[in-house]
Amino acid sequence: MGRTAKDSLVKGIIYLATGITLSVLLSIVGFIFVKGIGLVNWDFLTRDYNEKVVYAFVESGEVPLSIDEESLKSKQPYDQRYETLQEGPIYVENIGAAIASVSYKNHSTEREQIVISYIEKDSPLNGAIDSTGKAITIGTDYILQSINGTDFGDMTLEEVAETITAESGELKIKVVQPGGGIKSNIITTLYMVLLSLIVALPLGIFGAIYLTEYAKPGRLVNAIRFAAECLAGIPSIIFGLFGMAFFVVAMNFQISLISGSLTVAIILLPVIIRSTEEALKTVPMAFREGSLALGATKLQTIFKVVLPCAVPGIATAVLLSIGRVVGESAALLLTAGTVAQIPGTLFSPGSTLTVQAYYVAKEEGNIELACAIGIVIIVIVIVLNILSRITSDKLDVFNKK
Amino acid sequence: MDTNIKFNTKNLDLFYGDFQALKSINMEIREKEVTAFIGPSGCGKSTFLRCLNRMNDLIDCVKIKGEILFDGKDINGPIDVINLRTRVGMVFQKPNPFPMSIYENIAYGPKCQGMKDKNQLDALVKESLTKAALWDEVKDRLNKSALGLSGGQQQRLCIARTIAMNPEVILMDEPTSALDPIATAKIEDLMSSLKKDYTIIIVTHSMQQAGRISDKTAFFLMGEVIEFNETPIIFTNPHDKRTEDYITGRFG
Ligand SMILES: Nc1ncnc2c1ncn2[C@@H]1O[C@H](COP(=O)(O)OP(=O)(O)OP(=O)(O)O)[C@@H](O)[C@H]1O
Ligand SMILES: [Mg+2]
Repeated sequence: MGRTAKDSLVKGIIYLATGITLSVLLSIVGFIFVKGIGLVNWDFLTRDYNEKVVYAFVESGEVPLSIDEESLKSKQPYDQRYETLQEGPIYVENIGAAIASVSYKNHSTEREQIVISYIEKDSPLNGAIDSTGKAITIGTDYILQSINGTDFGDMTLEEVAETITAESGELKIKVVQPGGGIKSNIITTLYMVLLSLIVALPLGIFGAIYLTEYAKPGRLVNAIRFAAECLAGIPSIIFGLFGMAFFVVAMNFQISLISGSLTVAIILLPVIIRSTEEALKTVPMAFREGSLALGATKLQTIFKVVLPCAVPGIATAVLLSIGRVVGESAALLLTAGTVAQIPGTLFSPGSTLTVQAYYVAKEEGNIELACAIGIVIIVIVIVLNILSRITSDKLDVFNKK
Repeated sequence: MDTNIKFNTKNLDLFYGDFQALKSINMEIREKEVTAFIGPSGCGKSTFLRCLNRMNDLIDCVKIKGEILFDGKDINGPIDVINLRTRVGMVFQKPNPFPMSIYENIAYGPKCQGMKDKNQLDALVKESLTKAALWDEVKDRLNKSALGLSGGQQQRLCIARTIAMNPEVILMDEPTSALDPIATAKIEDLMSSLKKDYTIIIVTHSMQQAGRISDKTAFFLMGEVIEFNETPIIFTNPHDKRTEDYITGRFG
């Protein structure tokens, strides 16, 4: 084989490998997007995972329908993959809204329900309050269950419409806010990021300062570095097991936010130590000498000169760490749990986005929902990466001429 | 004892591990004079200079024997190193302004000593920059980063920073070797004007520079001081053959 032939063969293989890698990556992201994008909307981000029953107090009114029957019929705001229209819609004037009967079918449940399909602009429902007088929203995919104590139970849609029309004055309506949202997971993720950084960042930075500025190079320092490197390579499930045995059981923190964040903090430590150390090492010796020669103490030198120079590197470490927390699943599964709720205290459980994605896919077989959560995670990671570029440029003291 | 003697070293030996970099140095450095150290590369000039404000503390393997008396007190004894360094300032070969504003660079040292009063700091910054002949060039950009200055300006800033500490001695290790001739001339002028207030010790590779600015010159060779005398004598009538060889360029 000639040289040029060999060259082009190698070139071909390189191109092919690159092509395969790229297309695999793109198709994974594409798959997640295609599967999940239908579920991603504002409600998805701001609702609880569990359905919520609300009693709404509404002053009945008399609101005529302002659109024609055809366009009323076309309004089907509910998720059409799970819900199919059975009857209706019927417009009810005293609540200024249209109701419809749909059958709901999800992986684990199947039922018939009455939902609100359309709400007029000046519908009394828009002024709904709860029993404490606080304003609440009623959306177009909420489920109606009873009015003034009359349960809709096995009624047909017509009967329901008649029942509602027969009522007047103040109405007490039992509605169900649909679940499936990830608000609690977003908030749990935020808590987890904040708590683990609060613990790991000071420890990691001081550890790195000790290693680079104070420790005499030798066996001990090498041992610490080696340990940190090993820790970085250990799969997180091991940390999860440790966290479970130590924080959850031995310290009796239970499966909770605090157990989870402390476990993750341990996972983060080596990352933070390593990148801070790298950042500190790139600070020229000349700055330290210059500072000491001016009669500054070692501590002043470190905090006033060396650390500010290392800030971009530390910022990168922080963003990497956030990425780590957002992406962590195995360790959190064991230590923070899978309960989709906003943790009330440090000692309540909660599931982060990643854990939730695992949970709905594995336990409920709901791939679409898992992919929708996947999209949110991907977006967060991309935003973090962009941020890390911007901040490390912005914070760089050498950039500000 | 002669009260005009600032530094007095007695049988000073210095080792980097097993390597002896300074061999039995005896030298008296007088107050408000400019003393120049010359000698071929690696002969220990910087090492000796760094002994005088204990910058060698930063290097782990350094061992020192003998005495270095500063105003009659051994600086390797139980003294306050921070205090020593405020009294003996240092300017390095490569300008090393901190990556902060010009103002903060000057105010850094005094602030580290606990000076907080804004007016006092403002006045000190202005005075130091004026003394370092830099005020007019930077007075409009005090809050800009010092890294935006030219090399020569940066070096004068480093001198100003040192002056702000109001030291008694200023050590300079080849302060102009990274600068062009014009910037060098400015710094040399500056040194002549600083001479009346400060004791200056300068390491230089330029014979002309040593000749122009110094009162005394020490010739170092392989860790030893071969000759230490009035500058004109060193350059016109050296006592040692090796000094003469070096001065006339017949050496390494
Ligand atoms: N940190 C160190 N560790 C070990 N040896 C060193 C160290 N610093 C300097 N030396 C050695 O000590 C000797 C003197 O070095 P020094 O830097 O004082 O020379 P110099 O006269 O300043 O040279 P130059 O003119 O090149 O600056 C040299 O042989 C050098 O290799
Ligand atoms: Mg030198």
